[in-house]
Amino acid sequence: MDCDDCLEKLYAFLDQELTPGERNQVASHLEGCTDCLDNVTFEERFLKVIRDCGTSDVAPAELRRRISERLRSDIPPTTA
Amino acid sequence: MAEDAFESEALSYIDALYRTALRMTRSEADAEDLVQETYIRALRFREQFTPGTNLKAWLFRILTNTFINAYRKRSRQPQTAELDDVDEFSLYRRMSQDTPGSNSSDPEQEFLDGIVSSEVKEALAALPEKFRTTVLLDVEGFSYKEIAEMVGVPIGTVMSRLHRGRKFLQQRLYEVARERGIAALRASGPRPD
Repeated sequence: MDCDDCLEKLYAFLDQELTPGERNQVASHLEGCTDCLDNVTFEERFLKVIRDCGTSDVAPAELRRRISERLRSDIPPTTA
Repeated sequence: MAEDAFESEALSYIDALYRTALRMTRSEADAEDLVQETYIRALRFREQFTPGTNLKAWLFRILTNTFINAYRKRSRQPQTAELDDVDEFSLYRRMSQDTPGSNSSDPEQEFLDGIVSSEVKEALAALPEKFRTTVLLDVEGFSYKEIAEMVGVPIGTVMSRLHRGRKFLQQRLYEVARERGIAALRASGPRPD
């Protein structure tokens, strides 16, 4: 595997979407290539920035109350 | 499964559904409507849900379908943006070119640390709809296959949309950082007289 192959699989590698065989190929390339390793590390950090954005946003309390009520009213009455 | 297990588990995803809806619709009012509609449909079609399978994925599929249908109905013009011009953009390469003589031990990390949440949200909002939807579903941790099923496209299309969507975000955030100068890009190198 050369650097171009490695970069082509970069996101699939970080997204855990490669087959074990492909994963091993990328991993062994990264062991011997500092530039690709730095690139992968940077992309990994970048994805974390995107994924962490807005994780503290929560649904408005009024919406939660309304939906919770609707869900509760939908539970069929228990028959003894 | 207890009788109210479906309801309590479904309610536990409300924050995740809401934040995704907020980024999809880019409006608090529309996001509330979208989440409410998602739960109404989930209750209406709950017989179609197989207990023991992934309820979160099922709810997000409803959310995504509802959004896409409403969005496409509303937007008169067909989506033409393909973002192929960002395909080759690499923020990593750009950073290496911009900061050859940087004093920082880790200019890339410094750049990433300087990005604030509101800038990421603005960059996401600027993404064309089909790319935005795919990136948002990825943010929620769904696999390529799950996203492909939710959006109704092949896995290869999901991969290409994710790739371009991420590159677009990188380019946008790079421009934002350059504008405010926080990345200390050229400032760390020798200044011209």
